[in-house]
Order: sequence, then structure tokens, then C-alpha cells
Amino acid sequence: MRKYVPKDNVQGKSYYTDRFWVAPRVPREEVTDAHFTGVVATLGVLAKEAHVELGQLIVHIDARDNVAVIKALKEACGYTQCSEQSAVDYLAKDGEFELFYQLLNVNEAKRARVVCRIKKGEAIESIVPLFNSANFAEREMFDMFGIKVNNHPFLKRILMPDDWEGHPLLKTYPLHGDEFASWYEVDKIFGKEYRDIIGPENRDPAKVDRHDTKRFARIGYEVPFGTDISEGETQKEIEYSEALLVNYNKKESKTLDKRR
Amino acid sequence: MAQHQVNYASSAGLPIALTSVDKLVNWGRSNSLWPLTYGLACCAIEMMASGASRYDFDRMGTIFRASPRQADVMILAGTLSKKHSEFARRLYDQMTEPKWVISMGSCANTGGMFNTYATVQGVDRIIPVDIYLPGCAPRPETLQYAMMMLQKKIRRESADMKKNTKQDLTNQTGKRARLI
Amino acid sequence: MQVANKLSPFFENLNFERDDNTMVINFGPQHPSAHGQLRLVLELDGEQVVKAYPDIGYLHRGIEKMAENMTYNEFLPTTDRLDYIASTSNNYAYALAVEKLLGIEAPRRAQVIRTMLLELNRVISHLFFIATHALDVGAMSVFLYAFREREFGMDLMEDYCGARLTHSAVRIGGVPLDLPANWLENLAAFCDKVEYELEHTYEALLTENRIWKMRLEDVGVISAEDALNWGCTGVMLRGSGVKYDIRKEEPYELYAELDFDVPVSDRCDSYGRYRLYMEEMKQSVRIMRQLIPMYAQTQPQLMAHAPKYISATKEDIMTQNYALMQHFVLVTQGMRPPKGEVYVPTESPKGELGFYIKSEGEPYAYRLKCRAPSFFHTGLLQKLLVGTYIADVVTIIGTTNIVFGEVDR
Repeated sequence: MRKYVPKDNVQGKSYYTDRFWVAPRVPREEVTDAHFTGVVATLGVLAKEAHVELGQLIVHIDARDNVAVIKALKEACGYTQCSEQSAVDYLAKDGEFELFYQLLNVNEAKRARVVCRIKKGEAIESIVPLFNSANFAEREMFDMFGIKVNNHPFLKRILMPDDWEGHPLLKTYPLHGDEFASWYEVDKIFGKEYRDIIGPENRDPAKVDRHDTKRFARIGYEVPFGTDISEGETQKEIEYSEALLVNYNKKESKTLDKRR
Repeated sequence: MAQHQVNYASSAGLPIALTSVDKLVNWGRSNSLWPLTYGLACCAIEMMASGASRYDFDRMGTIFRASPRQADVMILAGTLSKKHSEFARRLYDQMTEPKWVISMGSCANTGGMFNTYATVQGVDRIIPVDIYLPGCAPRPETLQYAMMMLQKKIRRESADMKKNTKQDLTNQTGKRARLI
Repeated sequence: MQVANKLSPFFENLNFERDDNTMVINFGPQHPSAHGQLRLVLELDGEQVVKAYPDIGYLHRGIEKMAENMTYNEFLPTTDRLDYIASTSNNYAYALAVEKLLGIEAPRRAQVIRTMLLELNRVISHLFFIATHALDVGAMSVFLYAFREREFGMDLMEDYCGARLTHSAVRIGGVPLDLPANWLENLAAFCDKVEYELEHTYEALLTENRIWKMRLEDVGVISAEDALNWGCTGVMLRGSGVKYDIRKEEPYELYAELDFDVPVSDRCDSYGRYRLYMEEMKQSVRIMRQLIPMYAQTQPQLMAHAPKYISATKEDIMTQNYALMQHFVLVTQGMRPPKGEVYVPTESPKGELGFYIKSEGEPYAYRLKCRAPSFFHTGLLQKLLVGTYIADVVTIIGTTNIVFGEVDR
């Protein structure tokens, strides 16, 4: 029977998981810190849920409020730097993306993370008017996940080429790339008609072809490509001679000295 | 080169050395290999180190050039991504004949540890490579050894480039290559 | 013999025929002073830059995608290739993030060794910065001198972990090896050497050098507000007068116990940043000198004791059955950290290097985001380059100290 591979998440999986194993959770603490309490109070109803995890404040908000919340954090709470902005793909599980904004308060040395969720196909409002550092970060998010950002000054692919197909960090995108990715450089440089000549990519790191004259340089003994280097010799199975077997003939074999 | 003892008195004081054209040309080609600084990733740092004070590449007649027009060897040092592959080929095309390519490091050889969607799985898919240099990242000594191996290879080549066995991707299968 | 291909032999490097009388020039992606594969599209009015558009991604290798397809320990050597000039700082940032998630702490001796390696990497990285920055500006001999000292630092790294560039010298939960014999003596000698050379070679060659000052002073000016807004960290932030060093403000490892200063400059220009790099190297030397006597006072344990996540020592694995079983499970299946998310910032030589890890309780990270300082510094270029002259472009790229391994990941 062929093994079932889920289509919506093609990332690496552990080959064995204990059926009764329940993953523990990193403890979520109540907001007790004076500074964080002030932050949550400032946000008021905008914060749907707030807790402290590993020393950083995590605020869950509605995705439509993201600019308002981050503006409040910047102007009222002193979070003057947006360190990072990106997304997590939960399409397979919930049909949603989780977006996070990692903020830093330089004066108090406190970090907060604003988390919101959007459905597939929905767009998010850009925070570039507040934090210019989000310019590249949002472009990267668009490139990697295909999440559209409204009112972004220059929303274009950033890491992948402009003519790339697919969004690599989606869980549906395989690590080794799709058909388009595997022929990208050949199509671009030589054209599709050269696909047969150049051949498919070798993704098997353990593959060794000893009659290959192209990949492994025969230093000092170079030959034109395709030359027969076997010199008439055919590939033979290794035959193990019987002499290799140990003879357990008790009479002939050595016996231990009784004194030992 | 075969050097012959010559009686300078009888031959008007001219020392004579007899050699073949191939050897003379290859002597010149192999002893002043100017690589193109084609640093792509981590290996580029080792390439810089081999040009710097401790390893001192200059003593081998190897001086890094920034322009492909002045270079004989392209040292592809590092991971070649699919986005960059077009430029690698373009720079290779811009180099003047005769030209050689050293693929430095595992990433350039086979894609190495980056077995992902974004990495070219071996630069020999787009440009013909002469020397594959293993390691991640190869030490500067290894790069110098590769350079010496390349010199050795060049010395065995014919001065007439058409006779050389090195071929580009397409004529490897026997197809006729078109000259640009 | 060359094969025809679809590419035109000339790339459209220049575009003169524009209505607004400006010229568009393409810089990179393979330019010797672009610090890797940076491609800049500059719009010039005469010699002045009107618009700068950094195009990155030429070294995108899918490292974040790899993290989703690898166990936590398998991914560690990949972090070497992020900021390949100071690999240990990446290893450490990743290991610290996972340790926070697991809730474990490295033993004291591992902490001492880690802090030493981090500072050694900082010196190596800053020496590399001085070398390339000086080379870009036109001072060739500084490049040769700085590489000379850098090789001594690399020798120390090589003595410790066997690799010159890609160290993987830190593990999740500790360090794999104890220091080899004579390492501390060599480190002390290296400290003396660097301190002497900093004063007598680099500062003597550059600090009061007329050409150096002319090329660097008032070039690449970033105001404090801009620096914060564009996500600048590390020297780029402190060079603009904001005193924020993660080692001091959110101390990790042994930095809370160590005595060192954080240099800040309010010049906001390239020259101020150059002075900061010099001063930081002196502070790193100071930290390493304090760490040398601390090593002897520690117990020989190197890896944290957490049998659920971390393999026991080799000796235990070879002698004790349970340790062998645990090791087998951890190697074949990988550790399963608890569900949760963590973002841990560290002060790498380039700035704030942080790892955001989202764990769903699986042996593979559900999402790993590497917050690379250079990525945001590259984003700043589109603001910083506007209005400068073309001759200063290379100086400004040099002063941001970007490394493309971590920009593109």
C-alpha cells in the first residue's frame, strides 16, 4: 500500500510519534509586570488576549486593528522599533495565517509581540508609515507567503526572482521546489529545448556513477564527455570466495593451552 | 622546455631554447592565471584569505581581477542561487578565450547542504567546470592546490583551443556547437 | 568554444536615454566592493544619487525552509552559513533560542567557553570589517594587516573546533568540547597582539589619516530617529547616539557578571561607526581577559543535564543502557520541545540577531524566522544613499557592514 502523504503540508515529518504522547506547553504567565500591565491597559479593548511567554508580552489582536494597535504602542508605550515582522502558515490546520510584529522598547528594554490572524486571500494593512523597517519585512512576507499588504509603497518580490512561481514558505511548497523551480535556470539561460540535454537535477546526495565523465573530474586523465572509460571491462558482481569463510574444524584449529 | 647546450662563441652569442609552440604558449598561460573575483558566499571569505597576507596568492602569479574581460579563470566561490545563475553565465560569456572555471566548495559543485528550491544543484548545469574543489568551506591551501592542478591541466592542453577536450554543455552530447 | 544561449552578452548596465535627464546605473550583483551579491539600481542626476533601489535575494538559499524540514540539532550547522564571518554567534543565537524554549541552561564551563568564543568571533568579524571597509575606501595595506591578525584568531577557532570558517562550535545545551591544551595561553597572547596592533597599526594608519577622514566624515549620516525607525541595531544604532547593547540591557550568558563598556557615538556618520568598531574590539579583548581566570573555577561539565532533550556524555552512552537508549531516540527522531513560541535576541557583531521559533511539539520547527541585522541595514540603503555622491556609495555600503548570507538567508 502506498504511504499516505498529506497534500496540504508537505514538510518533513517525524517517522515515529508515540500515540499517547501529548506535547507540553511553554508556560503562559499572567501579565504582572508593571510596564506590560500599562501597555495592556493602554490598548484596552483592542487587545483580545494578552499574556507573557518567556519574558515577552504577546498581544493577540484583530487583524483590522493592526495599525491602530501598533500606533498606540509606538506613541503611547515607547515601542520605537519594529525588529521583525513575518507570518506563520496555519492554512492546513485552520485555514489562516498568523502574522506577528516583534516590537522593542529601547528605553525600558522590553519586547512585545503583536499577533493577529488573517484568512487565506485576505490582505493586511501596511505599517510602513509607522515603521520603515517593515518595508523590507512585509515585502519578504509577500514573497514567501503571498500575503498581500495594502498601501505598501513597493510591494514586489524581494528574495525570489520577479518571474518566480509559487511562494516558498507555504507548507504546500516542497523543500526541493516544484517543476518550475527545478528547471528555472535552464529555461532562463538556454531555453526549454535544452532540458533534455542538460538533464534533471540530481537531488540524491549519495548518487555515484563511476562511468560518469562529466561530474567527477578525472584529474590527469581527462577524456571527452561520453567516452567509454570501462576499457572493455563489464561491471561484475563481486564474488566472495569460499576461503573467506572461517573453517571451524575443531581438530585443525588451535586449542588453548590448558594452563591458561 | 628542452634546453640545449649551445656553444655561444660559434652561434654569435645567442642562447637558443628549442620547444614546441604548445609548450611555449601553455607556459605563458599557466603561469599568469588571473582569476575573476567571483565571490558568492562563505567560500569567498576563504578566497579573500588566500589572496591576503598569510597565504599570499600573488606569489603564484595569481592576481584577482574585478573585470571578467581581464580574467582567465573564474573561481565560483560559494552557493549559486537560481536568481543569480543568469549572471554567472553572463559573466562566463564575457570572459575572453582561453578560459577556465574552478568550482570552489560543495555548494558550487553539487548544491552541497543546500538541497533546496533556491539553489542551483551544481554550477556545471550552466557552465563547464574544469576543477571541482571539495570542502565546506575549502581552506586557502586547497584553493592554491586547485590552482596548481589547473596549471598542470593547462600545460597538457593544446595551444589550439579547438583541439582541447573541454566542451560546453551542448556539444557534450555530440550536437554541433554554434560559435558566437 | 562557446554555446549560444538566450542571454544577451551585455547586461543593460546603463540607461542614459531618460526624459528627466537622469541616468540609471546598475551596481552588482557581482561587484567586488558590494560585500557579496548586492545589486543596487541607482538613479543618478549628474553624480548625485536621486533614487536607490537595493535588490537582494541573490544568495537566497531557503535556510528558513530547511529549518522546517530538519530536526533542531540537524539545523545547527546550517546556521553557520548565515553570517559566515562570525559563525559562532549564529550558532549561539540559535542554540540560545532553543534552550529558552526547552527551559534549560548551559553549565558554567560551557558558558565561559561560549562567551569567549562569541567575543573572539566579534574580534574576527570586526577585523574583517576594518579590512574590507578600508579596501573599499582605497587603503589596501590595512586589508593585509587586518587579515594577518584575523588569521591568528582563526587559528584559535581552528584549535578549538577544527574549522576555520564554519565552526558549529556551540551545541544546544552547551558546547561539544573542552578547551584544548594551551588554548588559554594562546588566547591571552592573541589579546595582547590585537590590543597592540589596534593601537600601533590600525589607529595609527587610519584614525588621523587625512584621506580616511575625508572619505568617512559626514558620509552616511543617520539620525537616531531614523536608525530606530529603519530597524538598525548594533553599531549602526549606537553610531547614531542610541545606547542600546543587548549584552548590557538584556544580558545573556555571562555578560551580566563581566565588566565592560558600551561605546556610543553621536557623530551619526561613518567615521563615528569606524571608531565604535575599534573601541568594541578593545572591549572584547577586555572581556576575554576577564574570562580567562574564570575558566579554572568551573566544573568540567560541558552539556546541560536534560535527558529528555540532550544526549548524555559519550562516556555515559558507552557505559549506561538508559543513556544509550535516550541517545538513540534523540538521534533518530530528534528532540521534541514543548509547544510555544520564542524570540531571543542576541548581540551579534553585526547587530541584533534573533531567532523566532514556533514549535508545535514536533521534532521539526513549525516555523523559524531568523531576524538578521543586515537585512534591515540593507533596507536602510534606499534612504541612506539618496542625495550622496556616487563616490560615497561604496563607503556607505561598507559602513553598514552587511553580509549577504544573513540578508538573503
